[in-house]
Amino acid sequence: MSEAPARVLVVEDTPTQAELARTLLRGLGHAVRVSGSAGAALAEARAWEPDAILLDIELPDYNGFELMRQLKGEGIDTAVIVVTANASINTAVEAMRGGAVDFLVKPYAKARLSVTLANALEKRSLVAQLRSVKARLDRDRFFGFIGGSAPMQAAYRTIESVAASRASVFITGESGTGKELAAEAVHKASPRAGRSFVALNCGAIPRDLLESEVFGHVKGAFTGATADRPGAAKLADGGTLFLDEIGEMPLEMQVKLLRFVQTGSFAPVGSSRLERVDVRFVCATNRDPMLEVQAGRFREDLYYRLYVVPVELPPLRARGGDVLLIARHFLAQFSKEEGRRFQGFSPEAEAALRGYSWPGNVRQLQNVVRNIVVLHDGERVEAAMIPPPVLRTNGSAPDPTPVPAPVAIPVPAPVLPDPVPAVPEPFWSGPGLAPEPVAAALPPPPPAEPEVVPLAEMERRLILAALRRTRQDVPRAAALLEVNPSTVYRKLAAWRAAGLLAEA
Amino acid sequence: MTGTRGFAAQLAEDLGPEDLRHVLNVFRGDLDRLSEVLRVSAAAGDGASFRRAAHSLAGAAGAVGAQALEQACRLAMTRADIGAAQMPGVAADIAALCQGALAELAAFAGGLDRA
Repeated sequence: MSEAPARVLVVEDTPTQAELARTLLRGLGHAVRVSGSAGAALAEARAWEPDAILLDIELPDYNGFELMRQLKGEGIDTAVIVVTANASINTAVEAMRGGAVDFLVKPYAKARLSVTLANALEKRSLVAQLRSVKARLDRDRFFGFIGGSAPMQAAYRTIESVAASRASVFITGESGTGKELAAEAVHKASPRAGRSFVALNCGAIPRDLLESEVFGHVKGAFTGATADRPGAAKLADGGTLFLDEIGEMPLEMQVKLLRFVQTGSFAPVGSSRLERVDVRFVCATNRDPMLEVQAGRFREDLYYRLYVVPVELPPLRARGGDVLLIARHFLAQFSKEEGRRFQGFSPEAEAALRGYSWPGNVRQLQNVVRNIVVLHDGERVEAAMIPPPVLRTNGSAPDPTPVPAPVAIPVPAPVLPDPVPAVPEPFWSGPGLAPEPVAAALPPPPPAEPEVVPLAEMERRLILAALRRTRQDVPRAAALLEVNPSTVYRKLAAWRAAGLLAEA
Repeated sequence: MTGTRGFAAQLAEDLGPEDLRHVLNVFRGDLDRLSEVLRVSAAAGDGASFRRAAHSLAGAAGAVGAQALEQACRLAMTRADIGAAQMPGVAADIAALCQGALAELAAFAGGLDRA
């Protein structure tokens, strides 16, 4: 037998023909069932889902062409080969129009049956493959990502391919391209999807706290360690540990992480007892990891342990029409949140959005759309509603040079020195994990007497400090301040109007 | 029965003696049953039943390459000049062709057994 075994349904009411077909097909190694009427064949096709059907046209209840229509109407995907005693062109044409893959003229020899069936099955397989590939190429959403551009399709395919394995994934891309979203996609597409996804931002954690955040600590390990506390490694057991901004990890911590990656075991701070976990590592950085190795800032051995499957996320300026897809998504979302009527963008506004280089990538686009929605209303977004910095660069070709910071909401340095202490960022994210401020693990600093200034001024300083800390990411700044992002946008607009902010 | 032996030889090659004998047994059952339906339909002057039986006989004959029988059955299905009066005669002719085809195929199968 040269073909892969298939399930073949023989639809034939004459026992001699049915038996002959059954015997020949079994001789070719296929599984065979026989139906003596169109109605019985339809029921069998629904239940058994045959790969191919050998179909006689003349049947006792209704004819084979009608059966083909019903199969097609029910979406039953099978290769139909019409078997006919009449080798006329009309019969062949009608069969093919009805959806048959091929036809056989009775009587037929085993070799003819074998070739016809093999061709039909191969064609069906190719059609299925084509459908699958097209579905994958055409998709414009993937685990929280929005975008159907070619570079994003490549990223989706890599994520999909690597998800099922335990291999470490290293995500690179500029700020705001969705590295954490990609890490979550790896987790959600993997067999670990039902377990924890724990994200740790290595760049946001004070150096002396990082070990405790990763490995946990035991009571009394340091001043303020009043109880045992599990770290990210323990919490991610069975799941995925996402180490964002891995390039910011101090070298001495890299040694400890390397040991953990190699052995799967670690000791919490203050303990000598090793704990073993099953964790899948996903790392991300917005730097070139190999350059970091060459510069001596990242250990080469750790690099090779973690850089197993790279996933490169393209900047928004390289994603073509994705800009508008994403902008429309945010417009719908924010309009709903803010009670606005926006249905879409004017052609001029769309041209402006497409013409801009988006150095802050999707995060910047999100900020710009939020800004528009908060400050305006109407059926559609006009070009005049778009913040000036975006419009200023419009009309020229997309600028490939990244600008250091997003400029959608230009926030200049405050006039007065900023006395606001650093606001701790939430390090953790993941099911069941509440953000825990750094202060919970650190010895409390001596309380400093704050400068007394007008409350409005203090509010402005605090908001600007939060924006600086989050690199002008308004939603994150708002989250730190525990206010709605609209509040921050409105304050910025008001300060700009009052001349309290200089345009960037 | 020109051609029957040629296609039967092809069937023997494709199926092997055991499966061929099985198919021929099914064919014999079809001929016995369908030629009787043909005869009764002809006696009753039931043209629709007569043509359906002729169609099924043609299919069974075609499957094993019994060409003369197949052609006679197809003519019986389609000829406009076969009325109720002619049907019994046509049925008798077809029954004779059935017996001839069975005898020929039995002889062929016997030859396979002796080979």
